[in-house]
Amino acid sequence: MKWRCALIQRWLPAYPDGDLSPFWQGMVRSHLEKCPACREELAGLEAVVMNLKAAPRPEPDQAFWDNFNRELHLKLAQSVQSVPEPPPARFLKMPYYLLGAPALAGLLLWVAFGYLNPERPGLPPQPQLSQEQKALEKTPAAPRLAAPAPAPEKSEAVMMVSQNGHDMHGEDDLDLDGDLDSTLAGMTETEREAFLKKVRQHEKDGSCTRESLAVCWA
Amino acid sequence: MTDPQLVARAQEGDLPAFEELVKKYQREIYGLAYRLVLDAEEAKDLTQQAFMQAFVHIKGFRQQAQFRTWLFRIAINQCYNYLKNRKKFGDPVDCDEYVLVGEDSPEEELVAQEDHRRLYAALSRLPAKQRAVITLKLEQGLSYEEISKVLGGTAGAARVNYCQALKTLKKYMQNEDDYEVAVRPYPKMVTRVSRR
Repeated sequence: MKWRCALIQRWLPAYPDGDLSPFWQGMVRSHLEKCPACREELAGLEAVVMNLKAAPRPEPDQAFWDNFNRELHLKLAQSVQSVPEPPPARFLKMPYYLLGAPALAGLLLWVAFGYLNPERPGLPPQPQLSQEQKALEKTPAAPRLAAPAPAPEKSEAVMMVSQNGHDMHGEDDLDLDGDLDSTLAGMTETEREAFLKKVRQHEKDGSCTRESLAVCWA
Repeated sequence: MTDPQLVARAQEGDLPAFEELVKKYQREIYGLAYRLVLDAEEAKDLTQQAFMQAFVHIKGFRQQAQFRTWLFRIAINQCYNYLKNRKKFGDPVDCDEYVLVGEDSPEEELVAQEDHRRLYAALSRLPAKQRAVITLKLEQGLSYEEISKVLGGTAGAARVNYCQALKTLKKYMQNEDDYEVAVRPYPKMVTRVSRR
């Protein structure tokens, strides 16, 4: 075989259908006109193609296709029923170890609110409240020096007596503490009687307490 | 209804639309699988598997190619996997399974039967890819461009593959009479000697 025949026969199977480029189509055509070996090769290839096209193709009957479609329908129906659920969104696929961050944030918030809550037992007193108390103690310092207020339990006792409706006619009925006594001690007899009358009247009315009256009197 | 419309409905989960596509292409797919595996029952199973795979993955079909081409590719991949798993490359074919029609006299029928026996024996010796190329080109009528989309590669590679397959088939058919005697007389020893 010449080298030109080998080159041409490489493209011979595609020649009858015209699938070659125009250049190679012309080259093969011109070569076939003067080369009997290549013409014989082309005839052999065409015989093979004819044999292939004439070969019986599998032609199953209608019963085969009915059975085929029935089986396939069952398989398709099963696959439709067994379609898995769509996967959850990406943000729901957070790893478990990342759940510690929200938990830690919640814990910190709980501790912060608990620390700021003044009614919570076991926590240290707030420094701001003590300062306010000092400020309140400093502002009424001048009147308290003149007439200091009695203890709260004493005034409650006086209020209880007045509310029960008993008249307090003498000085002995009055339960006076040391500050009020010192106030009364600085008064004359007439002033003391006038003060005690006022006290009894106001206690009967309930409009004023003894402490405030003592302060006003002073 | 056209293929794109049926495919669009099947992509929405419409089973009857997909079954319409199945009825349209089942004979072509079955013929292709039959040519590749040369077994009627296996071809039927592979055809059903190909349609199942197509139904499962039809939502990923973007209709950039023809549905027929895409279906051919799925069927050929199924056949390749089957042949790879079963090691069926080059298995002998029983030509008595084929039904010969259109012959007049018993002598002509005998000659045609002998030709077909040689043809299928030669086809069975071809590599699966060359068998697929010949089937797609001669029986399904696909162009080289479509064959390249089905089998991968370029159109030129598909044409080279087809030419090589046809020449190999012709050679096998000519030597088929001597094939029974000539197949591997001293397989490994001769190979080693020739390589040295």
